[in-house]
Amino acid sequence: MTRTLLPSVAALALLAAAGLLAPGDVTDEGRGAAPAPDLPPHARAPYGVPLSVAEGARLLAWDKDIERAAAAAEPGRFRKDGDTWVDARGEYAWDAEEEVYWQDVPASTLTRGRQDFVQFCSSCHGLQGDGYGRSARGLRPPPRSFLRSTFKFTKVPGAFLPNDDALLRLVQHGLDGTPMLPWAVSEQRLRDILQYVKSLSPEDSGWRDPTNEIGDVIYTPPDPVTDESHPKHPWYRQPEKAVAAGAEAYHKYQCWSCHPAYMTQKQLNALRGPSFADTAYDASLTYGKLKKDSSYEVLGYHVAIPAPDFTWHVLRYGRDAREVFQTIAAGIDGAGMPTWGRTDPDAKGSVPDEEIWAIAHYVRHLVATYQDQPAERAAFMAGVRSK
Amino acid sequence: MSGDQIHPVPTGFLRRHVFSTDHKVIARQFMWVGFLGLFLGGVMAMMIRWQLAHPGEPFPLLGMLFWPSSGGAIPPDAYNTLFTMHGTIMIFVGLTPLLIGAWGNFCIPLMIGARDMIFPTLNMLSFWTLFLGVGVAVYSLFVPLGAAEGGWTAYPTLSSNIGTPGDGETLWAISIFLIGASSIMGGINYITTIVRLRAPGMTWGRLPLTVWGLFFTSVLNVLFLPVIGSAMILMVLDRVFGTSFYIPATMAQGGGGDPILYQHLFWIFGHPEVYILILPAWGIVGDLLSFFSRKPAFGYRVTVGALAAVTILSAVVYGHHMFTTGLTAMLGESFMLLTFIISVPGEILFFNWLHTLWRGDLRLTSAMLFSMGVIFVFGLGGLTGIYLATISTDIYLHDTYFVVGHFHLTMAASSLFGAFAGCYFWYPKLYGRMLDERLGKLHFWATFLPLTFVFCAMFFSGYGGMPRRYFDHTDNPYTNELQWINELTSTAAFILGAAQLLFVVNVLKTIRSGAKAPQNPWEVGTLEWTAASPPPHHNFDTIPVVLTGPHEFSNPAIRGGKDWIYQTEPLSG
Amino acid sequence: MSPIRSRRARTALATLAALAALALAPATSAQQVVDRWRPNPPASSYGQRFDDLFLLITVLIGVSFAIVLVLLIVPVVRDRARPGHKASFDHGSSLHDKRFTAVVSVTVFIVLDAWVLVVAMKDLREGYWNMPRPDTPDVLRVEVLAQQWSWNFRTPGSDGELGTPDDVLSINQLTVPQDRPVALNVTSKDVIHSLFVPDMRVKRDANPGAINVAWFQPIKAGDFQILCAELCGYAHYQMHGKLHVLPAAQYDAWEQEASAIALAEHDPNDAEARWAWDFKE
Repeated sequence: MTRTLLPSVAALALLAAAGLLAPGDVTDEGRGAAPAPDLPPHARAPYGVPLSVAEGARLLAWDKDIERAAAAAEPGRFRKDGDTWVDARGEYAWDAEEEVYWQDVPASTLTRGRQDFVQFCSSCHGLQGDGYGRSARGLRPPPRSFLRSTFKFTKVPGAFLPNDDALLRLVQHGLDGTPMLPWAVSEQRLRDILQYVKSLSPEDSGWRDPTNEIGDVIYTPPDPVTDESHPKHPWYRQPEKAVAAGAEAYHKYQCWSCHPAYMTQKQLNALRGPSFADTAYDASLTYGKLKKDSSYEVLGYHVAIPAPDFTWHVLRYGRDAREVFQTIAAGIDGAGMPTWGRTDPDAKGSVPDEEIWAIAHYVRHLVATYQDQPAERAAFMAGVRSK
Repeated sequence: MSGDQIHPVPTGFLRRHVFSTDHKVIARQFMWVGFLGLFLGGVMAMMIRWQLAHPGEPFPLLGMLFWPSSGGAIPPDAYNTLFTMHGTIMIFVGLTPLLIGAWGNFCIPLMIGARDMIFPTLNMLSFWTLFLGVGVAVYSLFVPLGAAEGGWTAYPTLSSNIGTPGDGETLWAISIFLIGASSIMGGINYITTIVRLRAPGMTWGRLPLTVWGLFFTSVLNVLFLPVIGSAMILMVLDRVFGTSFYIPATMAQGGGGDPILYQHLFWIFGHPEVYILILPAWGIVGDLLSFFSRKPAFGYRVTVGALAAVTILSAVVYGHHMFTTGLTAMLGESFMLLTFIISVPGEILFFNWLHTLWRGDLRLTSAMLFSMGVIFVFGLGGLTGIYLATISTDIYLHDTYFVVGHFHLTMAASSLFGAFAGCYFWYPKLYGRMLDERLGKLHFWATFLPLTFVFCAMFFSGYGGMPRRYFDHTDNPYTNELQWINELTSTAAFILGAAQLLFVVNVLKTIRSGAKAPQNPWEVGTLEWTAASPPPHHNFDTIPVVLTGPHEFSNPAIRGGKDWIYQTEPLSG
Repeated sequence: MSPIRSRRARTALATLAALAALALAPATSAQQVVDRWRPNPPASSYGQRFDDLFLLITVLIGVSFAIVLVLLIVPVVRDRARPGHKASFDHGSSLHDKRFTAVVSVTVFIVLDAWVLVVAMKDLREGYWNMPRPDTPDVLRVEVLAQQWSWNFRTPGSDGELGTPDDVLSINQLTVPQDRPVALNVTSKDVIHSLFVPDMRVKRDANPGAINVAWFQPIKAGDFQILCAELCGYAHYQMHGKLHVLPAAQYDAWEQEASAIALAEHDPNDAEARWAWDFKE
């Protein structure tokens, strides 16, 4: 028996050493967690990575307009009790004082989300979700920090926090032209990851701030080019008309103050009216402007991102006219692109719907015609830059 | 030999069946672990092939059990774990225990005329260390963030905690270390046993080739497993204790290490490892071709010399795994030349095997079919190695499916066929029952044909430029054009997997109620066939005295109308 | 041990052969994609060497394997065990046998191995390793920074100097001119990747902490696939890009525009933006 005892003890000792690696109890204050002051945050070594979340989180769910959300959840789950709604599963709760609906995300969901986050997302977004992943160093645009509760391309106007579906579709789409991939992770796992990401909002901000509102994707009216219910529209099935109108609208609304202009100076002045007849423009009229993007901060410095040149740069979330419409209408939160559309169908947006559609088609036309066609593009831009 | 004592048979269930020091019991323990490993690795292979042929579709039956959150479809992180553990398990939990643990343990004492290994307790420890290593590997499947995902080659920095946080990879490294320790113990045991415990008259020139193969394997085991052990120790130190052996200074938390250090350490072990897996199979094949051709093994001494040459050269060819990593030209060319040179003793082996068959009296039993199958698959696989040994073609073919096809034919198929040949050959001696020969032959053809198809198809997809370890080849337009090969390959792979049921059925059917095996069903003269089927605890009543070589078939000097003779019988005249 | 019943074996073999033929039959499923099993024709100056050497090796090993097959099948057919049939007795240890073995080994080495070696060394010296000097004006220097999970490329821009604000940086797209040598410096930010452009027959590992050099010269214009050829994590399969090869005049125009845009986008205050591009040779 003694002959087997010794090897068994040795084996147990080895297993105990392995057991020392057991996660859950080790916090960030563990070994190697705090880097030396002169090392960048990218140097956070992933030793003793905490993988389980001890407490659940209370996250903003939606505002009083619950009917739509309740219908999206399971039928029969929500019951109206006077003015408020009661959740049969107890995951959503009404706070009468703050007058908001909260979602109580259990620790188990957050743990699953945390583990998948470390698996898939932390190499760029960092182990703490602050954008300082080891792969992220020097990346422009830098990976998002989830501690700011701001997202650029959710198609939800910046005045609101994006709802779960908008975030889900964003992750599944990916951001073209960046290292943010269209992730082949199942929807169920993605939802857990999203709950975890939302729980990274600092105290009293983002999804923990009851004064915030959860918004839906921007109101998207039908595209006049394809809307079968209005076949008499002059652009119906004639996208080239929409493109022509879009060229005019793009330059009329001065998109060229950030994006490039795609008309000669003469044409631009003619469009703007007689009082601009002799205006001379900066040589950079046909280049996108570099804009400080307040949604990205890297080591205390707001990173600058150029407004894309549609004949050159890859659109992040704009593979068709509808997606471009939504980006224009919703705006890009934190960047210089304002909300041109409207959330409420009955309200008025800054730019009429039809003109946003025209610009969307124009942008797609520029992309389709000139991106990856260097000879055609060179000729076009040479024409634009001529006197 | 002095000191020859017959110890009484141990009593008690634990002493007899669990912590036994009897090499035959240990051999059976290794064999069943080997079968389990092949089964687990095989199931994982089926999952991999399913995902490749039908990307994103739920895996039938078991899918919802393992991956409910994705509706039964294999997620990308699980896929990486699958091919990592498939390779690890097949090599370390499947082939190594089966070929070296089982057949080594069973055959060596019996073939050299000893009562047991020279270090029986070390033998028992070797098995239980392996078992512990397997246990750690299985445990690693259940930790948060999952099991190892860096491929069985586990290159840093992907396999460092930078690339793969979590415990799965650390536990994997520990399990490799333990399994390696088990092999080292076994190697020491085998070498010393063969050197010291050969029966009187069993000279080096009368050893069966199986024993020679196992001897050289053990030499490689003892020399090179410590290298992978140290590579794993360094990896665990990096992952857990913050050292930087493999993490370069340019990484934010690095301290002047080098990921290429790991590659050198790994492949200094890794290339001899493939020879460790193949040498026993070569030995078995050398013997079985002679036994079932009723002819001596052609060029016995030259064959042994070739095995020795391969063993020695195996240490200096490892760089051919690293041609694209930025080796200097001189280093690359040296490895290329040496890799070509190591093919020469391999080719000599083929020459001798084919010459053994030539003008023999062939008995095409299942064991013989598998041995001849080794000639086919190793011939095909080995010849395709030339593309990979040549740097200028390897640049394109490295890390494509061409390599996968090559090493599966040379390493997996050849070793597996050698292991199966051993199974069909020694099963009567091990269990005292005969396996069903018809099922065995059907098993051979049902394995050999789909296997050849599967791995030859990979030569085509690799030549077409399909890289390895991709979760989904339809994601980019270039490899999407090769997807049709994936579909065909997977169909054949499923047939291959199903065909192994024939073997399972055969074993289960005969293990208790098969035909009783005579003492010497194959009419072969090596010493294990002088013992009963199965042999008693002490193997031989008296230690045999050896008078003849193992391959004296059809010797005209044999009297009595037989074409074979026991090694304990003299040749007259 | 009774000899096999040859009729049964033959039936079984025939059945399995039929199954094999079915398995080997070409795919009949509807394909929108053009299926292939070979690489596309080589698009680089030394690419044809790969195809030629591959063919040579195929012919040599084809012949060798055919010989092995014959030597395997003939005994199976001719030397089967049957009543009255005897094996010949030959240990193969005579001097004649040893000499014959040596002769065959040397012949095989010369025909199979040495021939291939000679061709390969020539290909390496004249092609793959015949790197043009990077400071030659004709050479386009490209710095490749691999990361999980995308390719970052930097070219010098109109001023021809790397490390200046007009360097063209792009993700997953590399634009190079036709008929000019492209010298690559390849490294990685995090784990080992491998830059693989199948149509150019070039592959080089991207190791963190080290810079690997490679080169190729495109001889055709068009778009070619870039793939990652070293396991680098979950999205290893998604780490692909496009190599655009433009004819010389088009490339010059492209490079001019790209440099102008890069200059407009250059932010001198962003200290970290070009962190990884400080390649020291």
